[in-house]
Amino acid sequence: MKDYADILFEYLFKTSIESSPFSLAWYILFIFLVAGVLLFFAANFAGITSFIERRIAARIQSRVGPNVVGPQGVLQWVADGIKLLLKEDLIPGRADRFLFRAAPYFVFSGLFAAFVALPFGYGIVAADLNIGIYYIFAITSLVVVGIIMGGWSSNSKWAMFGAFRSAAQIISYEIPTALSLIPVIMLTGSLSTQDIIIAQGGMPWDWYIFHSPFTLACFIIFFISALAEGNRIPFDLPEAESELVSGYNTEYSGFRFLVFPMAEWANLWVISAMVTLTYLGGWQIPFVSLETISGSPFLILISVGIFFVKTSIVVFIVIQLRWTLPRVRVDQMTLLCWTYLVPISLVAIVGTMVWMLVFPWDGTPGLLIRLLMSGIGAAACLFYIKRIRFNYLNDKLLFERLKGKPSWYPFWRLP
Amino acid sequence: MVPVLEAAIKQYFKNIYHSLYSITEGMAVTMSYMFRRPATIQYPNKLEKPLENQLSDRFRGILQVDINYCIGCRICENTCPIDCIAITIEKNKETKERFLTRFDIDISKCMYCGLCSENCSTSAIYHTKVFNGINRDIENLIIRFVDKPTALYKLPKGSDPMETPKDHYGAILVRKMKG
Amino acid sequence: MERSGNADLKHLKPQIAPFREEMILNMGPQHPSTHGVLNFLIVTDGEVIHQALPNVGYLHRGFEKLAEQTPYTTFIPYTDRIDYLAAMFGNHAYVLAVEKLAEIEVPGRAEFLRVIVCELNRIASHLISTGALALDIGATTPFVHWIRERECINDIMEAICGARLTYNYMRIGGVSRDINESIADQILKFLDHFEPMIDEYNRLISFNEIFIKRLANVAVISQIDAVNFGLVGPNLRGSGIEMDIRKIMPYSVYDRFDFDVPFGEGFKGTLGDSYDRYFVRILEIKESCSIVRQALSKLPKGNIKAKVKRKLKIKENECYSSVESARGEMGMYLVSDGTDKPYRLKIKTGSFTAMSIVEKVSQRLMVADLIAFIGSLDVVAPEIDR
Repeated sequence: MKDYADILFEYLFKTSIESSPFSLAWYILFIFLVAGVLLFFAANFAGITSFIERRIAARIQSRVGPNVVGPQGVLQWVADGIKLLLKEDLIPGRADRFLFRAAPYFVFSGLFAAFVALPFGYGIVAADLNIGIYYIFAITSLVVVGIIMGGWSSNSKWAMFGAFRSAAQIISYEIPTALSLIPVIMLTGSLSTQDIIIAQGGMPWDWYIFHSPFTLACFIIFFISALAEGNRIPFDLPEAESELVSGYNTEYSGFRFLVFPMAEWANLWVISAMVTLTYLGGWQIPFVSLETISGSPFLILISVGIFFVKTSIVVFIVIQLRWTLPRVRVDQMTLLCWTYLVPISLVAIVGTMVWMLVFPWDGTPGLLIRLLMSGIGAAACLFYIKRIRFNYLNDKLLFERLKGKPSWYPFWRLP
Repeated sequence: MVPVLEAAIKQYFKNIYHSLYSITEGMAVTMSYMFRRPATIQYPNKLEKPLENQLSDRFRGILQVDINYCIGCRICENTCPIDCIAITIEKNKETKERFLTRFDIDISKCMYCGLCSENCSTSAIYHTKVFNGINRDIENLIIRFVDKPTALYKLPKGSDPMETPKDHYGAILVRKMKG
Repeated sequence: MERSGNADLKHLKPQIAPFREEMILNMGPQHPSTHGVLNFLIVTDGEVIHQALPNVGYLHRGFEKLAEQTPYTTFIPYTDRIDYLAAMFGNHAYVLAVEKLAEIEVPGRAEFLRVIVCELNRIASHLISTGALALDIGATTPFVHWIRERECINDIMEAICGARLTYNYMRIGGVSRDINESIADQILKFLDHFEPMIDEYNRLISFNEIFIKRLANVAVISQIDAVNFGLVGPNLRGSGIEMDIRKIMPYSVYDRFDFDVPFGEGFKGTLGDSYDRYFVRILEIKESCSIVRQALSKLPKGNIKAKVKRKLKIKENECYSSVESARGEMGMYLVSDGTDKPYRLKIKTGSFTAMSIVEKVSQRLMVADLIAFIGSLDVVAPEIDR
């Protein structure tokens, strides 16, 4: 980003930045500009995802979803935001006032600060930290502090329940998240996010997910742990609506309440971006090598587009999982973490080390194994599509006989 | 190996396999719904035909009385479990003729059970397909079907009492409902 | 807990005498799970429940007193509302009791029509109960899918009798309206569409590993407990006891149909756990589909209603009649005294007896398990406090 700041300064003021006395002011201004752009992106993503999640959830349940507020309902999230802004700001009488007001700030800042190290395309990252992955883990742990503060200061038994459960969940799932990324870091040799993507390639067999069965297992473990970190179903206990009346944010109303779900939806982007950049090849374009990308701005835009597409597919899968699966109980969740996820990821680390020695990345047996693994992956996807087709055809004729209307109504036809 | 340990290890891997397989099956079911017709009827803006045409004639909507056919037997008033029908019949002293002066149905109390319309001797009272009784004032929900004192109906000999015409779209009712 | 109108809570508190680490939580009359207006007082230490006392009575409407002031023929709309999710069974139980007392013979076509609508209503009620259990566990889509199927049943009921929830279909001596070719065709088309949907539902949630883990081995009711506490219906059959009124004391024409009654056998865990009770209901839906098909194919011609006087007077007598409702045995004990209104009507429902076992079984459960347990018992609040 610093090169872009320099180029922009030269373009605007026609002098080189080293000779100008305003360089410090310009850098600070640029920092605020980039922070503003990231916050704008994150907040809008959170809002639009809330609307898209409701439409996807509705189609999965064979309903329609909100389509009244704007054309096809696209202004629904704006209406929700305005409504919550206009609500009365209640603080319970015996609550701890300072902690109650401070808790949303911790959650908000912990999550939005993770956007700094996420890449969006070739060379487009707010700060190319050389400890990128480590920084993202550390800064998202701030969310736990916010949740516990929110639950404790509400002075309500149910809110405290939710806060403690949530703290137990997030803290115990930090470990498989970190452990399952170690094979990726070993294969790359660096913690920086851009380096991880550069070390992969464009084609599916160049991604880290198909490197060995161990990295495939680690992909699944990382996906599950990231879901638990983000409080998404199936690990929804802190906000379990039918048990605790929404857990740690029971006593919050108005805009303070809005911060918690907004942070959750923005976390969707962080989770999906992490999954994409570590295991699915990031913004790499197939059939194009890195030198050609750095040359043309058109290809840079294509790399941004590819990253968006991959992340959106992972976001869609996370949303679909939310509306398919039930919730796990709190002791089953900790059991899952400590007896399944942690041992398998430890075995996978050792396995990847051995694999790296026996089948190095560039050699022929390594390439053949990667091709085999991507074949297995493609077969799994084809099996999934076959089952989808089976479910659709199972019901098509009988539905049309009963209702008299055709059954094919794909999701791009908006009612 | 110790058989208990071996069984435990087998169960461990079977659990993992079964979890992943059942979750994939569930995801396939939900994904297939993205391609199927939603079951929502977007009432009242996006209907193919008006809702009254889609309901069957047996639908138990708001009651309606065709006063010209009432013979004043008061069976509906006695059968109603909630007493929401009020009938008054007066006798003219000179001509010894009986007149209906009041036939009120309180549709805010009615529970649409259908006992009155089933037992009516001439099918003067029947259910319409109108179900929309929104009103700002609950007093407006007492529908008075008698405008001026009406002579009671005399059933012609040999006619079937069930053959009286019924207007299920409720024209009389809609006219009488204010607001 | 200090609320006006709940005087018994104040004297329950010294009775419970919690220890220092325990707290008394109120799973209040309005909570986001369905099942109606129920209240539980839970003594817990955080996650494990030490005692759970049900506190019922929020939905008492006084049916038994109303019956003493309403003539026999006019009481039928009230019986719909005892359990509004399975309204036909209320009708059927009352009408059976009156016909027994007055010795009225019901024509064959009416009996078959009664069986058809009762079994369709059983399917509709089980759809809500299994869907609500999935909703409590956390999965929202299965409930909505089942509501969509229930709308098809509601459309059939609307075509037959004119209403979608409170049917008022049966009369003393028969039923009120007849079905024609197009309605029978609609029922068959619905059944053809619906039976593969049950398999799809099983793939979606019944065989899901997380769902099984939440329900298997949770809140096991042993056979002795189930009989001693007087459980009925799928709760009893889930513990392995073979008791179904349709087979043991057949009423109406149930002895002419060929159907199995599913019993729990520890499908995925121990015998008598919550998964057994849940899966018994899924299997009962399939059996009801086959009963409806058999009844439609064997439907005789004839009258639909016997001739009964408009003002029915029954001489002094008493009787008890029971039907196998969706939630168990619904029994009506009717005492007549020679006028056209009964002297006493006592209604026995399945959910009321199910509340008695909550206190015993909930002693080592976690809070999340209590919700799964109550969902698997399929209690509906209007049935508990008629």
